[in-house]
Amino acid sequence: MIEFKNASVTYRGGVRALRNIDLTIHDGEFVVIVGLSGAGKSTLLRAVNGLVPVTKGSVLVDGKEVAGASTADLREIRSHVGLIFQTFNLVIRTSVLNNVLMGRLSKVPLWRSTLGMWPEADREIAMQSLERVGIVEKAYVRASNLSGGQQQRVGIARALAQEPKVLLADEPVASLDPVTSHIVMRDLQRINRELGITTVINLHFLDLARAYGKRMVGLQAGELVYDGNIADVSDDTFREIYGRAITPDDIMEMQG
Amino acid sequence: MTQGARPAPPKKSAVPYLAVAAVIAFTVFAARQVGFSLSQIVNNFQTARDFIGRFFPPDWAWAKENVPGPMIETIQIAIIAAIIGCSVALPIAFWASKLTANNRWVYYIDKWFLNVIRTIPDIFWAMLFVTGIGFGAFAGVLALIMFSLSIMGKLLSETIDSADPGPLEAAKATGAGHTQAVQASVLPQVMPNYVAYALYIFELDIRASTVLGIVGAGGIGRVLEAQRAFFRFDRIMAIVIVIFVIVFLIEQVSVFVRRRLV
Repeated sequence: MIEFKNASVTYRGGVRALRNIDLTIHDGEFVVIVGLSGAGKSTLLRAVNGLVPVTKGSVLVDGKEVAGASTADLREIRSHVGLIFQTFNLVIRTSVLNNVLMGRLSKVPLWRSTLGMWPEADREIAMQSLERVGIVEKAYVRASNLSGGQQQRVGIARALAQEPKVLLADEPVASLDPVTSHIVMRDLQRINRELGITTVINLHFLDLARAYGKRMVGLQAGELVYDGNIADVSDDTFREIYGRAITPDDIMEMQG
Repeated sequence: MTQGARPAPPKKSAVPYLAVAAVIAFTVFAARQVGFSLSQIVNNFQTARDFIGRFFPPDWAWAKENVPGPMIETIQIAIIAAIIGCSVALPIAFWASKLTANNRWVYYIDKWFLNVIRTIPDIFWAMLFVTGIGFGAFAGVLALIMFSLSIMGKLLSETIDSADPGPLEAAKATGAGHTQAVQASVLPQVMPNYVAYALYIFELDIRASTVLGIVGAGGIGRVLEAQRAFFRFDRIMAIVIVIFVIVFLIEQVSVFVRRRLV
């Protein structure tokens, strides 16, 4: 369970990225977060694993306080929370398997990861993670030789290798074409259903939010302006969240 | 399609001309200051020709007996110094980059340390160690370790600065500790550069270690300095040719390997 209690983030320089957020996400939920760029979506996700510390209020993951947690506690919390990035953030010079094994770093001592002497159990978890996203045959291929969609699936496998309770995805399909976007979104949906991992996804495209979300949260200028079932969301709702009329840029099917 | 009028070409700037004039003026000024004189070179042409004549023919019979031992010592000094210097430089380079330093203080202290050791030239390091621990190859090794360390620290830390920070964020997000996250995400990015720099530094060490002997730090330089003192330029010629061939061969191999790396 993820709980935001009156949580705010003010960046150095005075930008208020999140303002007094109250939000509870229950185990196994699939939540889509929408909002304009700069509305605080990325900050909200990174506040969950403490990559961006909240400056006011509190954030709890399974009852553990993230705000002001010690380095050791923070690492413990992070090890249960997978993060998926818009730009994949793979080490492209090394193999797919090495990238996925990164998800096991917190479980092994430094000398093992440095020398590449991973325990068999961790290799097995990494391989199973690759199987779950359907690219295990690429395990020994250099990450740079993969297409964008394949690289994002490696990013998902890396997160899965953590055996996480929570999966956070920050605009996971924004760098992908429509066909690949649907494949990746279906992967995330399937993982949520099969493994029951709580999933929170930032999305820009409204049609993707409608197609895959169950619950939708809307952010505007750092404030939570909508929280409800995606089935109840109308175009007017989007217009209110975005604070402007919907344009073709907001709909993936209308991208050239 | 209606178009605006074509713009007039921008006025030519006088700055390039002034810059060239300034460079010429400064060169003339500097040449006068140091007493540079073409006439001196021309007038001493005969002396110079006699002097150069004393280098020939190279004394190979002597060289065969006396060069191989010290030359091998020179190469050994360079190998040991390059390996130790580049190994020690690895963590130091990571601390000297804002991306991977553990904290601000480590970064500033390390950066300052690298700047200081880089300011001191290799020959001066050799003089320091010869004075401190005595004549011999060990002083040369220590001098070149400092030399290798300073170059690798600078080159590698700047390569780390330009590494992709994304994978590091991803590694930290998995709950990895700082060192482990850096090792898994940044080290693989800079590894090919690191090996290429190490080979380049080995080349520099070979060249540097040939002259370190002049101040008493072992290797072929010691022999070179002794023969210069006896004005045996035919022997010096033989040594110089040997050094040239060995440096050339090592560079060729190093360039070949480096080209395949990056």
